[in-house]
Order: sequence, then structure tokens, then C-alpha cells
Amino acid sequence: MATNILRRAASSVITSKTGSLLTGTSRRSYASVAVGIDIVSAAHGVSLQKARSWDEGVSSNFSTTSVKDIFKGKKVVIFGLPGAYTGVCSQQHVPSYSKNIDKFKAKGIDSVICVAVNDPYVMNAWACKLTAKDVIDFYGDFDGSFHKSLELGKDLSAALLGPRSQRWSAYVVDGKVKAFNVEGAPSDFKVSGAEVILEQI
Amino acid sequence: MAPIAVGDVLPDGTLSCFDAEDKLHKVSVHSLAAGKKVIIFGVPGAFTPTCSLKHVPGFIERAGELKSKGVDEIICISVNDPFVMKAWANTYLENKDVKFLADGSATYTHALGLELDLGDKGLGTRSRRFALLVEDLKVKAANIESGGEFTVSSADDILKAL
Repeated sequence: MATNILRRAASSVITSKTGSLLTGTSRRSYASVAVGIDIVSAAHGVSLQKARSWDEGVSSNFSTTSVKDIFKGKKVVIFGLPGAYTGVCSQQHVPSYSKNIDKFKAKGIDSVICVAVNDPYVMNAWACKLTAKDVIDFYGDFDGSFHKSLELGKDLSAALLGPRSQRWSAYVVDGKVKAFNVEGAPSDFKVSGAEVILEQI
Repeated sequence: MAPIAVGDVLPDGTLSCFDAEDKLHKVSVHSLAAGKKVIIFGVPGAFTPTCSLKHVPGFIERAGELKSKGVDEIICISVNDPFVMKAWANTYLENKDVKFLADGSATYTHALGLELDLGDKGLGTRSRRFALLVEDLKVKAANIESGGEFTVSSADDILKAL
């Protein structure tokens, strides 16, 4: 299993490096995702917005969910994709997780999370359309700050999407990344599906 | 940029959309509006209530009447990507006339001076709610809401300007 993860990490676009603070200068450090990093520290202070209708947003005072509350003390499988309502995301990526939800539950996973750089209202409408809202937790990273802090942002302006994210998946236990997969190109769907990460749990 | 006003020339810009065959197109605003009478209305966000339940339906219902008064195009723009705009447009099964165009990076909205920061609502930079009547690229009516209201930018309001 370890060699599989290393092979995928080597073929991924992101090279494994950790940023560090220089003494005497204040500089925000971004840690790229790799097995062993603490996602809560890497995305320190970042929040996501749970997919919801506008009315739910109003009644909750547009509250957000901190990365800490999402990951601390839980076994989470999270996958990120370039955009709601786009081809591979809608037809392959989300269905691969929604149809395997029982297998994730059997392995003790507390939540399966889908995140994209979209607002939470679009995520909500999309989740309802895919009839996946009751099995997967959809979150919006509306300003891309979550993906930026993990160095998983990707400029998809050429596809008229603007700043978005890579296609990726991770298995995170109490905030610690235990498995991580990222596609070579966001249009690929080779390593970030449910079948792959189920083998890594 | 100051908000667009009556008497201004409509700036050119590029919007995007999917056609009926799911092909992605970039559209120049001037190519749609030059020499024509067009209505352009902007909404803060696809799949949000006032936009979805009031603003858009108003223009779909009044499209026949607007066309009979010489309007050539009715264009809805929003700071959303073309995939989301297509999905949102598809929820209006009875629509034949309103074109849904995407201003994904808010570039055109900036050119109109109509951007609005809705970061605290989880939306980011969006457009103000507005409706413009434009004849051969000259703005004849500019109904722009100041906040989240829906008091001046409806189809009924722009009908009065025709």
C-alpha cells in the first residue's frame, strides 16, 4: 500500500515540500498536501460553506464551518473537483462516491465530503440534482482559500472556469492525511475515485 | 468604474454560454447589441431565490410583450460560469427568449461598474441587480438596485421605458 501511495505522489503535479517560516520575516507558509501533514494546520483559519439554500443561509446568518470542525476527531474521506455541473465531476467523480457509500460506512468513515470552488447555493442545487445530498456532505470553497492553502488551486480560465482546483481525494484521520491522490490533469479521472481510496483505508 | 448610466455607450465585452448542442461559445456583447434594441438584466447569483423566483421569471413571462415593442434580445447575465448558467437556464422549461450568458470572472460586470462584494454571503464578487434598455449601443434606461432589493429592475419596470 505504501508503494502505491508513493508512486501516485511521484506522478502527481504537486511536488512534496513543506514551506517554512523564515526567522525575522513574517511570511504565510503554504504546505502542499502529502501523507503525514496535518490538514487543520495547513488550512489554518480557513472555513468552508456547507451546501445550503439561500433561506438556510439567511437563518444561519451565513455561518461557515471551520476546517477544524470538519476534520478534528473524525475519519473523513474528502474529494475535490474542478466544478459543479461539469462533465467528469457530475458523471463520474460524484457517482463513484455516492454509489460506494456503504463501503465507506463499513470502514468506519464518519463523513464523505465533496468540495469545489463554487458558492454553497450552486453546490446545493447540484447536490440535489445528483440526488447525492443525503449521502455526501457538499461544501463550497467559494473564494478558493481552502484549496490555495493546500496548494491545490488550478487556473482553469482556458476552460472558462477561472481559478478552481485540481481533482483530488484524501483520507484524513483526526486531521492527519493518511492517503492522498491527485490527478495529473483536472480532466483525468484515474486516481481520485472511490475505488482507489477504498483500497487505501 | 462609475456605474453605467443613461446616455453612456454600452461597453463591449466577452460573455460565454453553451448552445443547444452543448458547444461552448464566447460571445461579444457588441455583436448581440449593435444596431438592435436589447435588454440586459443582471442578477447576483444563479440558484438564489430573488434571482430564480422573481427576477428571471418576470422577464420570461413578459418576453412576448417586450418583443412586440421592438426588443430584439433579452439577455440575463450573472457572475457564474457557463456550466452553472446552463444548468440554471434549463430549470426554466418554458423559456424560449431569454438568453443566459456567463460573466464568469466578473470582467464585464466590472466594465459596467456594477460589481458587488457578496463575500460575507459566500458568493464573492458578483453583480448588482439591474436592468438596462440599450438601443444601438446607447443606454436608454438604467435601473440599478442599491442593495438586495427588487424594486426597480423588474421586467414590468423596464416595460415602462419602452
